[in-house]
Amino acid sequence: MSSDQVATGVINLSEGDSSLVNEIKELGGEELMECIQCAKCAAACPMVLAGFPFFNKRIIQAIFLGLRDALLDDSSIWACQSCNRCTEVCPREVNPFEIIQAMRRVAIREFALPTLSIEGLKSLYDTGHAVYLAGAGNTRAKVGLPEKPPSTVANPEALKELQAVIRKTALADLGIIPMDESGVKETCEV
Amino acid sequence: MKVGFFVGCNTAFNRPDLEQAVRYAFPALGIELDDLEGQSCCPSWGTMPSVDVVGWCAVGARNHTIAEEKGLDIVTVCGSCYGSLAESKYKMDTHPEIKAQVNEILKDIGREYKGTSNVRLAFYYLYHELGPDRIKEAVKYKLDGLTVALQPGCHTLWPSKVYYDKEEDPFHPRVLKEMCEALGATVGHYTRLIDCCGMGAMRSTDMEKSLKLVEKKLISMKNEVNPDLIVTGCSSCLIQFDTAQELLRSGKKINFEIPVLHIMQVLALCLGADPEKVTGLAKTDVSRVVNRILEG
Ligand code: SF4
Ligand code: SF4
Repeated sequence: MSSDQVATGVINLSEGDSSLVNEIKELGGEELMECIQCAKCAAACPMVLAGFPFFNKRIIQAIFLGLRDALLDDSSIWACQSCNRCTEVCPREVNPFEIIQAMRRVAIREFALPTLSIEGLKSLYDTGHAVYLAGAGNTRAKVGLPEKPPSTVANPEALKELQAVIRKTALADLGIIPMDESGVKETCEV
Repeated sequence: MKVGFFVGCNTAFNRPDLEQAVRYAFPALGIELDDLEGQSCCPSWGTMPSVDVVGWCAVGARNHTIAEEKGLDIVTVCGSCYGSLAESKYKMDTHPEIKAQVNEILKDIGREYKGTSNVRLAFYYLYHELGPDRIKEAVKYKLDGLTVALQPGCHTLWPSKVYYDKEEDPFHPRVLKEMCEALGATVGHYTRLIDCCGMGAMRSTDMEKSLKLVEKKLISMKNEVNPDLIVTGCSSCLIQFDTAQELLRSGKKINFEIPVLHIMQVLALCLGADPEKVTGLAKTDVSRVVNRILEG
């Protein structure tokens, strides 16, 4: 079922994927079933104001209906600002933000993630920073700072430690980024 | 007093003038900064948190343990770092099973997450530890005669349950306002005060939609406050407001420019910092407002 079909209101429920609910619960959206679709979260969500077709309440509804493909075909889940307005206002403590994160985790397990996220993860592994600008040394010098910040970029031991941590996480099991060779990019702004 | 400075990515690589502002203002107010040597990315939302809860917490926890070993709280000027570090801490502190899995991972690098350091946002830290009156006494220059519009930033406010420093009512935030008023500014209220600026994941996903949000905010600020300066509480909001105005002007969406600074840059200026070092990378023209501050 495409996001177009969903947008036009034609939903074939027999095509829904009932396993999606359990997957979301397992990946951090434990309180999913508490949602009563009251839409308080939608009233607070910047994605609504910006005009994304899916936002907190609708994403939860789509999960209830098992509309896996519709959610994966659309970029809305990746536009969530993690601002947590929804978490603050939800009367049922559903933690809608975490449900959207869980939906991203489902998408990632199907390799349906944006290139920028892949680049961010690779940059995090290679440099310790998801946002990284190799040319920043000049900018830093211009305002009187050392070329590198006192982070993993200036401390190879610390970077090795971080990489050892990342190699023990689900990211390694999923094989989304190569972890053997370093491919430090010039820039990455995720 | 001493705190751990978590510099994060955007501040270190994109706006190191903001980093300089923190490095100037904290010591000038009698607070020593420790660099938390070897820190990494928080990590931010589109990366580890989008893959897996335990992995996110493990990368965050490594940062937490650097501060814990030194017995320091973590201070940051970036909303994403603040949000991610505070949320990973909250998850580990309230879910023993997550903490146990994280510590299993950290064992290999000889670290253990205990949960003893708090995560603080720089201006909340100063507000709570020193208070606006002591800050007022310490400054050389003031914002007298300047009207400002505020951009507190989403992650300074929500979800309030994960933060050490809270607003009494996050939908009517007061801390940034009181800080600016203590420095002498007139703070104007505008309808879209707590709206999101559109930076971050939204901007990476759809630039046009992201710009729509910042445009709505700018027009609300201009019409209702007509400010001399926008003051942000978050480095991401700083970057969005500072860079989006030119795009919106060339797209004929707005026909004005409002200078933008982070509250720590404003504070550093008021304490006597070199404007080139602490505001030198601004894209909006801040020279007039900086001169007005320095001329009193
Ligand atoms: S997530 Fe919460 S606020 Fe949103 S619709 Fe469900 S119950 Fe209402
Ligand atoms: S966290 Fe995401 S879903 Fe929740 S209000 Fe913010 S943008 Fe909307």
